[in-house]
Amino acid sequence: MKYDLQQKRQLLVDHILSRQTDFYRLAFSYVKNQDAAMDVVQEAIVKALEKVDTLREPAYLKTWFYRILINEAMNHFRRSRDLLPYDDALNDQPASALDPGTRLDLYDAIQRLSFPEQTVVKLRFFEELKLEEIAQATGVNLNTVKSRLYKALKKLRTMTGEEIDHAS
Amino acid sequence: MHPDWEHAKQAYRSPQPPEGFSGGVEEAIRRGDRTRRRRLTARRSLTTALAACACFVLLVNASPTFAQAVSGVPVLGPLARVFTVAEYTAEDDGLLLDVRLPGLENTGNEALEERVNAEITTRVQALLDEAQQRAQEEWDAYLATGGNPADYAPAVITAGYEVKYQGEGYLSFVVTVTQVRATASEQFFPYTVDLATGEDVTLRDLLGEDWKETVNASVKEQIAQRSQDPANSYWDGSGGIQGFTSIRDGQPFYLGVDGNPVVMFEEYEIAPGYMGIQEFEIPLGE
Repeated sequence: MKYDLQQKRQLLVDHILSRQTDFYRLAFSYVKNQDAAMDVVQEAIVKALEKVDTLREPAYLKTWFYRILINEAMNHFRRSRDLLPYDDALNDQPASALDPGTRLDLYDAIQRLSFPEQTVVKLRFFEELKLEEIAQATGVNLNTVKSRLYKALKKLRTMTGEEIDHAS
Repeated sequence: MHPDWEHAKQAYRSPQPPEGFSGGVEEAIRRGDRTRRRRLTARRSLTTALAACACFVLLVNASPTFAQAVSGVPVLGPLARVFTVAEYTAEDDGLLLDVRLPGLENTGNEALEERVNAEITTRVQALLDEAQQRAQEEWDAYLATGGNPADYAPAVITAGYEVKYQGEGYLSFVVTVTQVRATASEQFFPYTVDLATGEDVTLRDLLGEDWKETVNASVKEQIAQRSQDPANSYWDGSGGIQGFTSIRDGQPFYLGVDGNPVVMFEEYEIAPGYMGIQEFEIPLGE
Protein backbone atom coordinates (compact mmCIF):
# COMPACT_ATOMS: atom_id res chain seq x y z
CA MET A 1 0.00 0.00 0.00
CA LYS A 2 1.28 3.41 -0.95
CA TYR A 3 1.10 6.12 1.68
CA ASP A 4 0.97 9.77 0.78
CA LEU A 5 2.53 12.56 2.77
CA GLN A 6 -0.58 13.41 4.75
CA GLN A 7 -1.12 9.77 5.79
CA LYS A 8 2.48 9.45 6.91
CA ARG A 9 2.21 12.69 8.81
CA GLN A 10 -0.96 11.50 10.57
CA LEU A 11 0.65 8.19 11.57
CA LEU A 12 3.62 10.08 12.95
CA VAL A 13 1.48 12.53 14.92
CA ASP A 14 -0.59 9.69 16.39
CA HIS A 15 2.58 7.86 17.34
CA ILE A 16 4.06 10.94 19.03
CA LEU A 17 0.89 11.79 20.93
CA SER A 18 0.37 8.27 22.25
CA ARG A 19 4.01 7.65 23.22
CA GLN A 20 5.13 11.11 24.37
CA THR A 21 5.68 10.09 27.98
CA ASP A 22 7.94 7.20 26.93
CA PHE A 23 9.96 9.57 24.77
CA TYR A 24 10.29 12.00 27.64
CA ARG A 25 11.61 9.26 29.92
CA LEU A 26 14.15 8.07 27.40
CA ALA A 27 15.36 11.65 26.86
CA PHE A 28 15.42 12.29 30.60
CA SER A 29 17.51 9.19 31.21
CA TYR A 30 20.30 10.82 29.18
CA VAL A 31 20.08 14.48 30.09
CA LYS A 32 18.82 14.23 33.70
CA ASN A 33 17.06 17.56 33.58
CA GLN A 34 13.43 18.48 32.93
CA ASP A 35 13.93 21.39 30.58
CA ALA A 36 16.69 19.67 28.65
CA ALA A 37 14.59 16.51 28.29
CA MET A 38 11.70 18.59 27.01
CA ASP A 39 13.97 20.34 24.52
CA VAL A 40 15.32 17.02 23.27
CA VAL A 41 11.84 15.57 22.71
CA GLN A 42 10.58 18.72 21.06
CA GLU A 43 13.55 19.09 18.74
CA ALA A 44 13.14 15.45 17.76
CA ILE A 45 9.46 16.05 17.00
CA VAL A 46 10.21 19.14 14.91
CA LYS A 47 12.82 17.24 12.96
CA ALA A 48 10.59 14.21 12.42
CA LEU A 49 7.66 16.32 11.21
CA GLU A 50 9.99 18.26 8.99
CA LYS A 51 11.38 15.15 7.34
CA VAL A 52 8.33 12.87 7.42
CA ASP A 53 8.24 12.90 3.62
CA THR A 54 11.54 10.99 3.65
CA LEU A 55 10.07 8.12 5.67
CA ARG A 56 9.83 5.41 3.02
CA GLU A 57 7.95 2.69 4.82
CA PRO A 58 5.47 3.39 7.64
CA ALA A 59 6.41 0.01 9.16
CA TYR A 60 9.71 1.64 10.15
CA LEU A 61 8.02 4.59 11.84
CA LYS A 62 8.73 3.39 15.35
CA THR A 63 12.47 2.78 14.90
CA TRP A 64 12.79 5.81 12.63
CA PHE A 65 11.52 8.08 15.37
CA TYR A 66 13.70 6.42 18.00
CA ARG A 67 16.66 7.11 15.78
CA ILE A 68 15.86 10.81 15.56
CA LEU A 69 15.22 11.02 19.28
CA ILE A 70 18.47 9.26 20.15
CA ASN A 71 20.41 11.53 17.80
CA GLU A 72 18.89 14.56 19.50
CA ALA A 73 19.74 13.15 22.91
CA MET A 74 23.29 12.55 21.75
CA ASN A 75 23.61 16.08 20.37
CA HIS A 76 22.50 17.39 23.70
CA PHE A 77 24.90 15.11 25.48
CA ARG A 78 27.76 16.45 23.38
CA ARG A 79 26.75 20.07 23.72
CA SER A 80 26.50 19.87 27.48
CA ARG A 81 29.66 17.82 27.86
CA ASP A 82 31.80 20.94 28.20
CA LEU A 83 29.46 22.54 30.69
CA LEU A 84 28.60 19.70 32.99
CA PRO A 85 30.62 16.91 34.53
CA TYR A 86 29.08 14.30 32.27
CA ASP A 87 32.39 12.77 31.32
CA ASP A 88 31.94 9.92 33.71
CA ALA A 89 28.76 8.92 32.01
CA LEU A 90 30.02 9.59 28.51
CA ASN A 91 33.29 7.80 28.48
CA ASP A 92 33.76 4.22 29.30
CA GLN A 93 34.31 4.09 32.97
CA PRO A 94 36.48 1.06 33.50
CA ALA A 95 35.09 -1.00 36.28
CA SER A 96 38.54 -1.29 37.77
CA ALA A 97 38.46 2.45 38.52
CA LEU A 98 35.85 1.76 41.15
CA ASP A 99 36.74 0.91 44.67
CA PRO A 100 36.36 -2.86 44.68
CA GLY A 101 34.34 -2.56 47.87
CA THR A 102 31.70 -0.35 46.24
CA ARG A 103 28.77 -2.06 44.60
CA LEU A 104 26.66 0.06 42.34
CA ASP A 105 22.93 -0.11 41.98
CA LEU A 106 22.12 -1.48 38.52
CA TYR A 107 20.45 1.70 37.28
CA ASP A 108 23.40 3.84 38.41
CA ALA A 109 25.72 1.39 36.73
CA ILE A 110 23.87 1.80 33.42
CA GLN A 111 24.51 5.56 33.54
CA ARG A 112 28.23 4.83 33.60
CA LEU A 113 28.23 3.00 30.30
CA SER A 114 29.22 4.76 27.08
CA PHE A 115 26.43 6.43 25.13
CA PRO A 116 26.03 3.59 22.58
CA GLU A 117 26.06 0.95 25.30
CA GLN A 118 23.50 2.72 27.46
CA THR A 119 21.33 3.09 24.41
CA VAL A 120 21.36 -0.61 23.61
CA VAL A 121 20.57 -1.50 27.23
CA LYS A 122 17.75 1.02 27.56
CA LEU A 123 16.14 0.09 24.26
CA ARG A 124 16.38 -3.62 25.00
CA PHE A 125 15.25 -3.77 28.61
CA PHE A 126 13.23 -0.61 29.21
CA GLU A 127 11.72 0.08 25.81
CA GLU A 128 11.58 -3.64 25.04
CA LEU A 129 12.73 -3.45 21.46
CA LYS A 130 13.90 -6.47 19.53
CA LEU A 131 17.57 -6.59 18.61
CA GLU A 132 16.70 -6.05 14.93
CA GLU A 133 14.73 -2.96 15.90
CA ILE A 134 17.64 -1.67 17.97
CA ALA A 135 19.87 -2.09 14.95
CA GLN A 136 17.49 0.07 12.90
CA ALA A 137 17.03 2.62 15.65
CA THR A 138 20.76 3.09 16.18
CA GLY A 139 21.80 2.77 12.56
CA VAL A 140 24.27 -0.07 13.05
CA ASN A 141 24.13 -3.71 12.02
CA LEU A 142 22.74 -6.52 14.10
CA ASN A 143 26.11 -7.96 15.05
CA THR A 144 27.27 -4.62 16.42
CA VAL A 145 24.13 -4.46 18.56
CA LYS A 146 24.80 -7.93 19.89
CA SER A 147 28.41 -7.23 20.73
CA ARG A 148 27.53 -3.90 22.37
CA LEU A 149 24.90 -5.56 24.47
CA TYR A 150 27.26 -8.33 25.45
CA LYS A 151 29.99 -5.90 26.48
CA ALA A 152 27.53 -3.68 28.32
CA LEU A 153 26.15 -6.57 30.33
CA LYS A 154 29.63 -7.73 31.17
CA LYS A 155 30.51 -4.26 32.49
CA LEU A 156 27.27 -4.07 34.42
CA ARG A 157 28.05 -7.40 36.06
CA THR A 158 31.45 -6.15 37.16
CA MET A 159 30.06 -2.85 38.42
CA THR A 160 27.20 -4.33 40.38
CA GLY A 161 29.10 -7.41 41.42
CA GLU A 162 26.14 -9.58 40.68
CA GLU A 163 25.19 -12.22 38.24
CA ILE A 164 22.37 -10.35 36.58
CA ASP A 165 20.42 -12.60 34.35
CA HIS A 166 19.53 -10.51 31.34
CA ALA A 167 17.15 -12.95 29.78
CA SER A 168 13.65 -11.71 30.31
CA MET B 1 12.95 -10.82 34.86
CA HIS B 2 15.64 -10.54 37.49
CA PRO B 3 14.60 -8.34 40.46
CA ASP B 4 17.52 -5.97 39.83
CA TRP B 5 16.18 -5.30 36.35
CA GLU B 6 12.67 -4.73 37.69
CA HIS B 7 14.15 -2.24 40.09
CA ALA B 8 16.19 -0.48 37.41
CA LYS B 9 13.17 -0.32 35.15
CA GLN B 10 11.18 1.35 37.88
CA ALA B 11 13.94 3.92 38.36
CA TYR B 12 13.95 4.52 34.61
CA ARG B 13 10.18 4.93 34.45
CA SER B 14 9.81 7.14 37.50
CA PRO B 15 10.46 10.65 36.04
CA GLN B 16 7.20 12.39 35.18
CA PRO B 17 7.01 14.97 32.39
CA PRO B 18 6.41 18.50 33.71
CA GLU B 19 2.99 20.09 33.42
CA GLY B 20 3.50 21.99 30.20
CA PHE B 21 4.88 18.99 28.38
CA SER B 22 1.86 18.06 26.23
CA GLY B 23 1.42 21.67 25.19
CA GLY B 24 5.07 21.72 24.21
CA VAL B 25 4.65 18.54 22.19
CA GLU B 26 1.78 20.05 20.24
CA GLU B 27 3.73 23.22 19.67
CA ALA B 28 6.65 21.18 18.34
CA ILE B 29 4.32 19.36 15.93
CA ARG B 30 3.13 22.70 14.57
CA ARG B 31 6.69 23.96 14.29
CA GLY B 32 7.74 20.82 12.41
CA ASP B 33 4.81 21.14 10.01
CA ARG B 34 5.82 24.72 9.26
CA THR B 35 9.46 23.95 8.56
CA ARG B 36 8.52 20.99 6.35
CA ARG B 37 6.18 23.12 4.27
CA ARG B 38 8.88 25.74 3.89
CA ARG B 39 11.43 23.15 2.87
CA LEU B 40 9.17 21.41 0.38
CA THR B 41 8.13 24.71 -1.19
CA ALA B 42 11.73 25.80 -1.46
CA ARG B 43 12.64 22.47 -3.00
CA ARG B 44 9.82 22.60 -5.56
CA SER B 45 10.76 26.02 -6.81
CA LEU B 46 14.37 24.91 -6.92
CA THR B 47 13.99 21.84 -9.06
CA THR B 48 12.37 23.90 -11.77
CA ALA B 49 14.73 26.84 -11.47
CA LEU B 50 18.10 25.22 -11.19
CA ALA B 51 18.65 21.54 -11.54
CA ALA B 52 21.79 20.57 -9.68
CA CYS B 53 23.61 23.81 -9.98
CA ALA B 54 25.59 25.07 -7.03
CA CYS B 55 25.17 28.70 -7.75
CA PHE B 56 23.25 31.73 -6.65
CA VAL B 57 20.48 33.33 -8.59
CA LEU B 58 19.94 36.93 -7.80
CA LEU B 59 16.74 38.60 -8.83
CA VAL B 60 16.91 42.31 -8.47
CA ASN B 61 13.99 44.26 -9.85
CA ALA B 62 14.71 42.75 -13.21
CA SER B 63 11.68 40.75 -14.28
CA PRO B 64 8.32 42.37 -14.99
CA THR B 65 6.56 39.92 -12.65
CA PHE B 66 8.95 40.85 -9.92
CA ALA B 67 8.28 44.54 -10.39
CA GLN B 68 4.59 43.79 -10.30
CA ALA B 69 4.92 41.81 -7.12
CA VAL B 70 6.86 44.63 -5.55
CA SER B 71 4.21 47.17 -6.37
CA GLY B 72 1.80 45.05 -4.36
CA VAL B 73 3.75 45.73 -1.18
CA PRO B 74 1.79 47.87 1.24
CA VAL B 75 2.67 51.49 0.85
CA LEU B 76 3.43 53.95 3.59
CA GLY B 77 1.56 57.11 2.93
CA PRO B 78 1.90 57.71 -0.74
CA LEU B 79 5.63 57.09 -0.88
CA ALA B 80 7.87 55.42 1.63
CA ARG B 81 7.76 51.68 1.76
CA VAL B 82 9.61 48.52 2.53
CA PHE B 83 10.11 46.44 -0.57
CA THR B 84 11.92 43.28 -1.52
CA VAL B 85 15.35 44.30 -2.67
CA ALA B 86 16.68 40.82 -3.33
CA GLU B 87 15.04 37.45 -3.61
CA TYR B 88 16.72 34.18 -4.39
CA THR B 89 16.80 30.52 -3.64
CA ALA B 90 19.88 28.40 -3.95
CA GLU B 91 20.85 24.83 -3.40
CA ASP B 92 24.35 23.95 -2.47
CA ASP B 93 25.83 20.72 -1.14
CA GLY B 94 23.64 19.92 1.83
CA LEU B 95 22.10 23.38 2.04
CA LEU B 96 18.88 25.01 0.92
CA LEU B 97 18.75 28.78 0.94
CA ASP B 98 15.57 30.78 0.66
CA VAL B 99 16.18 34.48 0.95
CA ARG B 100 13.96 37.52 0.69
CA LEU B 101 15.69 40.71 1.74
CA PRO B 102 13.91 43.97 2.46
CA GLY B 103 14.99 47.46 1.60
CA LEU B 104 13.64 50.93 2.13
CA GLU B 105 12.71 53.32 -0.63
CA ASN B 106 10.91 56.58 -1.23
CA THR B 107 11.39 57.76 2.32
CA GLY B 108 12.64 61.07 1.00
CA ASN B 109 15.82 60.48 2.93
CA GLU B 110 18.51 58.80 0.90
CA ALA B 111 21.04 58.68 3.71
CA LEU B 112 18.54 56.75 5.83
CA GLU B 113 17.79 54.31 3.03
CA GLU B 114 21.44 53.71 2.33
CA ARG B 115 22.29 53.16 5.96
CA VAL B 116 19.44 50.77 6.70
CA ASN B 117 19.76 48.86 3.44
CA ALA B 118 23.50 48.39 3.82
CA GLU B 119 23.07 47.29 7.41
CA ILE B 120 20.49 44.66 6.56
CA THR B 121 22.50 43.26 3.69
CA THR B 122 25.68 43.05 5.76
CA ARG B 123 24.02 41.41 8.74
CA VAL B 124 22.08 38.84 6.79
CA GLN B 125 24.96 38.05 4.46
CA ALA B 126 27.29 37.40 7.40
CA LEU B 127 24.79 34.90 8.82
CA LEU B 128 24.29 33.23 5.46
CA ASP B 129 28.04 32.92 4.90
CA GLU B 130 28.49 31.35 8.29
CA ALA B 131 25.60 28.96 7.79
CA GLN B 132 26.87 28.00 4.38
CA GLN B 133 30.32 27.23 5.70
CA ARG B 134 28.90 25.12 8.50
CA ALA B 135 26.64 23.25 6.10
CA GLN B 136 29.62 22.56 3.85
CA GLU B 137 31.62 21.14 6.75
CA GLU B 138 28.75 18.90 7.84
CA TRP B 139 28.18 17.73 4.30
CA ASP B 140 31.88 16.91 3.82
CA ALA B 141 31.95 15.06 7.13
CA TYR B 142 28.82 13.16 6.15
CA LEU B 143 30.34 12.01 2.88
CA ALA B 144 33.71 11.29 4.46
CA THR B 145 32.05 8.93 6.94
CA GLY B 146 30.38 7.02 4.11
CA GLY B 147 26.93 8.65 4.17
CA ASN B 148 24.65 8.27 1.19
CA PRO B 149 24.08 11.71 -0.42
CA ALA B 150 20.51 10.72 -1.32
CA ASP B 151 19.60 10.27 2.35
CA TYR B 152 21.06 13.55 3.52
CA ALA B 153 18.61 16.03 4.99
CA PRO B 154 19.92 19.42 3.92
CA ALA B 155 20.23 22.35 6.28
CA VAL B 156 17.54 24.90 5.50
CA ILE B 157 18.21 28.61 5.90
CA THR B 158 15.37 31.03 5.40
CA ALA B 159 15.70 34.79 5.53
CA GLY B 160 12.68 37.01 5.24
CA TYR B 161 10.95 40.00 6.71
CA GLU B 162 7.64 41.24 7.94
CA VAL B 163 6.37 44.81 7.97
CA LYS B 164 4.91 45.41 11.41
CA TYR B 165 3.80 49.00 11.33
CA GLN B 166 3.69 51.91 8.97
CA GLY B 167 2.09 55.26 9.50
CA GLU B 168 2.35 58.41 11.54
CA GLY B 169 5.91 58.95 10.51
CA TYR B 170 7.20 55.56 11.63
CA LEU B 171 8.09 52.48 9.74
CA SER B 172 8.74 49.24 11.62
CA PHE B 173 9.75 45.85 10.23
CA VAL B 174 11.52 42.73 11.44
CA VAL B 175 14.08 40.75 9.47
CA THR B 176 14.32 37.08 10.49
CA VAL B 177 16.86 34.43 9.66
CA THR B 178 15.85 30.86 10.49
CA GLN B 179 18.24 27.93 10.46
CA VAL B 180 17.00 24.40 10.72
CA ARG B 181 19.61 21.84 11.60
CA ALA B 182 20.10 19.66 14.67
CA THR B 183 18.03 22.39 16.29
CA ALA B 184 15.92 25.09 14.73
CA SER B 185 17.04 28.55 15.63
CA GLU B 186 15.75 31.92 14.68
CA GLN B 187 17.53 35.24 14.71
CA PHE B 188 15.83 38.56 14.16
CA PHE B 189 16.73 42.17 13.54
CA PRO B 190 13.93 44.62 14.07
CA TYR B 191 14.10 48.09 12.52
CA THR B 192 11.94 51.01 13.48
CA VAL B 193 12.80 54.27 11.80
CA ASP B 194 11.50 57.76 12.36
CA LEU B 195 10.85 59.04 8.86
CA ALA B 196 11.02 62.67 9.91
CA THR B 197 14.49 62.49 11.43
CA GLY B 198 15.85 59.44 9.65
CA GLU B 199 16.96 58.03 12.99
CA ASP B 200 16.28 54.66 14.56
CA VAL B 201 13.51 54.96 17.10
CA THR B 202 14.43 53.91 20.64
CA LEU B 203 12.22 52.77 23.48
CA ARG B 204 13.27 55.92 25.30
CA ASP B 205 11.82 58.02 22.46
CA LEU B 206 8.49 56.26 22.83
CA LEU B 207 8.21 55.74 26.58
CA GLY B 208 10.22 58.58 28.07
CA GLU B 209 12.97 58.63 30.68
CA ASP B 210 11.44 55.86 32.77
CA TRP B 211 11.29 53.50 29.81
CA LYS B 212 13.11 50.68 31.55
CA GLU B 213 10.88 50.70 34.59
CA THR B 214 7.78 50.91 32.41
CA VAL B 215 8.82 47.97 30.27
CA ASN B 216 10.07 45.86 33.19
CA ALA B 217 6.84 46.29 35.14
CA SER B 218 4.74 45.40 32.13
CA VAL B 219 6.85 42.39 31.14
CA LYS B 220 6.82 41.02 34.70
CA GLU B 221 3.07 41.39 34.87
CA GLN B 222 2.61 39.64 31.53
CA ILE B 223 4.98 36.82 32.48
CA ALA B 224 2.96 36.26 35.66
CA GLN B 225 -0.20 36.23 33.58
CA ARG B 226 1.12 33.81 30.99
CA SER B 227 2.60 31.53 33.63
CA GLN B 228 -0.94 30.72 34.77
CA ASP B 229 -1.23 28.53 31.71
CA PRO B 230 0.66 25.34 32.57
CA ALA B 231 1.81 25.05 28.94
CA ASN B 232 4.01 28.10 29.48
CA SER B 233 7.15 28.22 31.51
CA TYR B 234 9.74 30.92 32.16
CA TRP B 235 13.10 30.73 33.86
CA ASP B 236 12.54 31.62 37.49
CA GLY B 237 15.92 31.09 39.10
CA SER B 238 15.36 27.39 39.76
CA GLY B 239 18.15 25.17 38.52
CA GLY B 240 20.46 28.18 38.71
CA ILE B 241 18.99 29.77 35.60
CA GLN B 242 18.13 33.36 36.30
CA GLY B 243 14.74 34.52 35.14
CA PHE B 244 13.72 37.89 33.75
CA THR B 245 14.96 40.83 35.83
CA SER B 246 15.34 43.73 33.45
CA ILE B 247 15.51 44.47 29.76
CA ARG B 248 18.85 45.24 28.18
CA ASP B 249 19.79 48.64 26.76
CA GLY B 250 19.44 47.49 23.20
CA GLN B 251 16.51 45.13 23.75
CA PRO B 252 15.02 44.55 20.31
CA PHE B 253 11.49 45.77 19.65
CA TYR B 254 9.17 46.72 16.84
CA LEU B 255 5.97 48.72 16.61
CA GLY B 256 2.82 46.66 16.67
CA VAL B 257 -0.26 47.37 14.56
CA ASP B 258 -1.58 49.74 17.22
CA GLY B 259 1.69 51.65 17.30
CA ASN B 260 2.61 50.21 20.69
CA PRO B 261 6.17 48.94 21.05
CA VAL B 262 6.51 45.15 21.21
CA VAL B 263 9.72 44.01 22.93
CA MET B 264 11.29 40.74 21.82
CA PHE B 265 13.34 38.17 23.69
CA GLU B 266 15.44 35.59 21.92
CA GLU B 267 14.95 31.86 22.34
CA TYR B 268 16.40 30.83 25.70
CA GLU B 269 16.73 34.42 26.88
CA ILE B 270 13.98 34.27 29.48
CA ALA B 271 12.36 30.87 28.87
CA PRO B 272 13.18 27.32 27.80
CA GLY B 273 13.75 26.77 24.10
CA TYR B 274 10.34 25.30 23.41
CA MET B 275 8.75 28.66 24.28
CA GLY B 276 10.43 30.18 21.24
CA ILE B 277 10.81 33.92 20.75
CA GLN B 278 8.89 35.80 23.41
CA GLU B 279 7.12 39.08 22.64
CA PHE B 280 5.44 41.56 24.94
CA GLU B 281 3.38 44.52 23.83
CA ILE B 282 3.92 47.56 26.03
CA PRO B 283 0.95 49.95 26.11
CA LEU B 284 2.00 53.53 25.42
CA GLY B 285 -0.40 54.90 28.01
CA GLU B 286 -2.33 58.05 27.34
